[in-house]
Amino acid sequence: METTTKTLELKLERTISASPDEVYEAWLNPKIPGTPWNMAEKLILNPEVDGFFYWAFKDIAHYGRFTKTERPGRIQYTWVSPNTLGEESTVTVTFKQQGDGTLMTLVHSGLPDTENGRGHEDGWNYFLDIFPRQFKDG
Amino acid sequence: MPRLDSVFHALSDSTRRSILRTVALGEQTVTEVAQPFQISLAAVSKHLNVLERANLIRREKRGSFQMVRINAMPMKEAGEWLAYYERFWNERLDEFEQFFKDKKDANEK
Repeated sequence: METTTKTLELKLERTISASPDEVYEAWLNPKIPGTPWNMAEKLILNPEVDGFFYWAFKDIAHYGRFTKTERPGRIQYTWVSPNTLGEESTVTVTFKQQGDGTLMTLVHSGLPDTENGRGHEDGWNYFLDIFPRQFKDG
Repeated sequence: MPRLDSVFHALSDSTRRSILRTVALGEQTVTEVAQPFQISLAAVSKHLNVLERANLIRREKRGSFQMVRINAMPMKEAGEWLAYYERFWNERLDEFEQFFKDKKDANEK
């Protein structure tokens, strides 16, 4: 009986030329370019565990709640938007000292389960292209 | 099991991925599907069951043959979600990284 289930996960890394503490603080600061909150036209942001965020850009609303705020190593929040089809996904950002800088890793996980979408062969081909990056076990 | 969980479960096995790549090129009989693998027809049949439950393939009886063909729709949903957020977060992180580079450059001047 096979019981393992895998959920799709998106993982991105950047090396930032600042200390983990500075990078952690910056990620929660809407004034810093590149944070999701920085592009908001409307914003509510309460970055503490069980704190809520709402931001809207061009009438597209994003919501979530913070689940981890472990300064300076980790921030985790849920993420709900029309692109998650209203389902709650999870974003985890970690900060690790690397030389003078910080290795920043962002993982977005929790693929929405939906019956929506229309089938095209190009969807399948596209997936085969990206697939090796998701499952490196063969 | 939620539908996309079953998709990724189905895709977590290299034999099943290999089967999918083969039938993506065109429909085949179960015997043809089994041919490249050093496993029994019964084992192949189990893999096909997992793929069918995930709605990744369809099986159809035609005379004495059972045909297997791909169903691409669940793949498309997964691919779209991934592509959207890959672009979104890459753009965000590029801008974030640049902010610190600019700041560092300014401090060094």
